[in-house]
Amino acid sequence: MSSEDIKKEKSFDIALEMKCVSKEFPGTLAVDSVDFDVKTGEVHALIGENGAGKSTLMKMIAGSFNDYTGDIVMGSQKVDLFTPAQSKKNGIEMIYQELSLAMPLSISENVLVGRLPKKGIFLDKKKIAEETTLCLERVGLGHLDPNLQIEEISQHEGQLVEIAKALGNNPKILVMDEPTSALSREEVERLFTIIHNLKKQGLAIVYISHHLPEIFEVADRVTVLRDGKKIGTNDISEVTSELLVQMMVGKSVADFYSYNSHAKENERLRVENLSRFGFFHDVSFSALEGEVLGICGLSGAGRSELGRSLVGLDERHAGDVFLDGEIFKPSHMSKAVDNGLVYLTENRKTEGLALRLDVKDNTLVSIIPQLSKNGVYTSNDGDEILTGLIDELSIYPPDPTKIVGNLSGGNQQKVLLAKWMACKPKVLILDEPTRGVDIGAKMTIHKSIEALAKKGSTIILISSDLPELVSLSSRVLIMRKGRIVKDMRKEECTEESVLLAANGENV
Amino acid sequence: MSDDKTIKEEKSDVRAIKVTTLGKMMNSFGIYAIAVFFLVLGIVLQSLGIINNFLTTTNMMNILDAVTLLGIVAVGMAFVTYSGHYADMSVPTTMAFTGIICVQMLQFGFIPALIITFLFGLLIGLINAVAIGKFKANPIIWTLALVFVTKGIIRIVWDNKQIYPDFIANSERTSDLFDNIFRYRFFGKISLPLVMLIILIIALDFVMKKTKYGAQLKMTGAAQKAASFSGINTEFVIGMAFVICALTATLGGLTVTSLSRVGYINNGVGYDFKAVTAIVIGGMTLAGGRGSIMGVVGGVLVMGLIDNILTLLGVGTFSQDMIRGTIFIIVVGLNAKSLRSLGRDDA
Repeated sequence: MSSEDIKKEKSFDIALEMKCVSKEFPGTLAVDSVDFDVKTGEVHALIGENGAGKSTLMKMIAGSFNDYTGDIVMGSQKVDLFTPAQSKKNGIEMIYQELSLAMPLSISENVLVGRLPKKGIFLDKKKIAEETTLCLERVGLGHLDPNLQIEEISQHEGQLVEIAKALGNNPKILVMDEPTSALSREEVERLFTIIHNLKKQGLAIVYISHHLPEIFEVADRVTVLRDGKKIGTNDISEVTSELLVQMMVGKSVADFYSYNSHAKENERLRVENLSRFGFFHDVSFSALEGEVLGICGLSGAGRSELGRSLVGLDERHAGDVFLDGEIFKPSHMSKAVDNGLVYLTENRKTEGLALRLDVKDNTLVSIIPQLSKNGVYTSNDGDEILTGLIDELSIYPPDPTKIVGNLSGGNQQKVLLAKWMACKPKVLILDEPTRGVDIGAKMTIHKSIEALAKKGSTIILISSDLPELVSLSSRVLIMRKGRIVKDMRKEECTEESVLLAANGENV
Repeated sequence: MSDDKTIKEEKSDVRAIKVTTLGKMMNSFGIYAIAVFFLVLGIVLQSLGIINNFLTTTNMMNILDAVTLLGIVAVGMAFVTYSGHYADMSVPTTMAFTGIICVQMLQFGFIPALIITFLFGLLIGLINAVAIGKFKANPIIWTLALVFVTKGIIRIVWDNKQIYPDFIANSERTSDLFDNIFRYRFFGKISLPLVMLIILIIALDFVMKKTKYGAQLKMTGAAQKAASFSGINTEFVIGMAFVICALTATLGGLTVTSLSRVGYINNGVGYDFKAVTAIVIGGMTLAGGRGSIMGVVGGVLVMGLIDNILTLLGVGTFSQDMIRGTIFIIVVGLNAKSLRSLGRDDA
């Protein structure tokens, strides 16, 4: 240990220490004898693939489980964190991946929830506004009107309001679960500045993320989990991203991005002057059989809306779509599926999967008509397809009777893809197919996308993940403010050029 | 990579066993174990001399007759619950209305009356199907509203009077046939409604488990949006559930009207809530997509046994309602809790 390290040990008090904690779910040991600690005034990053146990460990700190084993020590004494109230009492605040604010309420009602200042029996409006603004100032939102409703502010501001709400309770420990997953680059920078200031004020911050570059920007120490076990804790200066990835996946990622184009000659899909007013306008493009066509754009550029209108989920106001040369106008999503034009949603939990049903039900849902004869459904005929898909996507655990809601995020995403792979679509529109997914699952999904293209499916890949977009696509369409502004061939595409084009810069 | 996989597979095997045993105990045998428990309870109470005539042929027949009616209604309504739309509150008035229609139409003969009655039942089902399937009306509010509309129609058209099959029927034979819907017994023992129920159970169990429609209904019930995004015509699927429910309610209406030998606005009162209770006790969650027709049948049996024992104990109707409500609350609560402990945080 160097002298500098010793100095660090002295200046930082341990705010929370977990000793050999475990948590078991029916069917899974989600966290397996993990030691973890976080010191005051530091950011401790917690990383790992989906299903590695990060979120479970965090929920444990948040008091979501009353049946964990092991000790949690704060200060010098052992504490019980069996209920959320106990956690809050011990000065622990959580900021979750998904916004947990009440949409129809105002900012101040959300920030001061449970402790709205009163004057007699009435609410003290003036004091409410003052206190809210005070909280908001800490996250750089002092300019916002506390009476605005949450649905009126942007998602980024919502995230910050959530932090403000947590800070209002004067926490000692702040836990952030993927706080940047919905933020743009610029917004991420602002968040990091805020985190930096909080750190200076002596807060202990636990930071969970998938994005390695972020970890290097924001964290002081990093702990890697894999399969519920701790792999190691290091000072951030001691590790490289290659090393972290290796710790996370247990394998090297040398052959990560090397994909070939499988585009054939015949045109599969042609879109002419398609518009949905207010969302996208005058969109024209065509895609070949076996081609992977990337669509890039900032959030709000109309990418998802385009995908949804193509399959008939949303209305179209003008323009035509041709599938294999014939005009195609689905009245309902089911017609699109019948014709082999399918859309993989970006919201897997609400629109993609039936979380309470098992892997088999979820995977075979797209081919129920094909598996039925005279209205009689024989799901056993689908078993072969199912086993093949589970194998190809290495869905873990490889058990078709597993309830999908109990799988990790990455495996849920694989099941979602398996659903559409089962019906061998002519055109597969993928909307953020690897959002919030770990590197191992991502590689598997990419391989499957390539395999689908090889078999002749046309893939339309809508993604914010630039390396993914650039490496998988044979062409990339750039969308900006509802219009296609550029059509870039593979040779022209680099992460930088695509991003610049999406931001409206000339390259 | 392959090393990783083998290790993972071993792990998952051990885990899988745990869940399946627990799940199985909860789902398949639970309700029939409870039925046996109440049967034994009745026998014990009888042997202690607290109640009389529990274990007699007549009483067992009574129980069967009582549960037959409830069963017919419940197995149909189960489709609504399975589709994730809680319950069809219009069932009682559908029963009363179709019963009255049938009695009124007996003036044209028995078979024409039956046909017209089922057309009316179908119409009610289609109205619900369009409103709830197509226009996404709230199932409870909508069907409750339909209750008032139907009641209004009955009061206006029939002037709030009871109508009797023997006065209206075109011949004595017709009215006898109508009376026999409830009373006919094969070999002098097995009642016609029981036979109808058994046929319904077999048919609807098949529909739910083995057909294309059933598979789509399961997905729709478990996650309507995801089903719709997967290319299932959820509007049709949900609508069909309400049509099936209305048709079984029609059958129930015919039976209950035949039983009482009078077409009357209050025939069928209480069958909405009794059916939901039986469905939920039978392991079909209100959130949809889980449970089975056989489970619902078990729930119906338990309800029949409880009713019978309470009646033999001399518990009044109002107290019985209270007890049924309490059972419902407890079952829904336990159901939610057991689901949560399995990591599924909905009920």
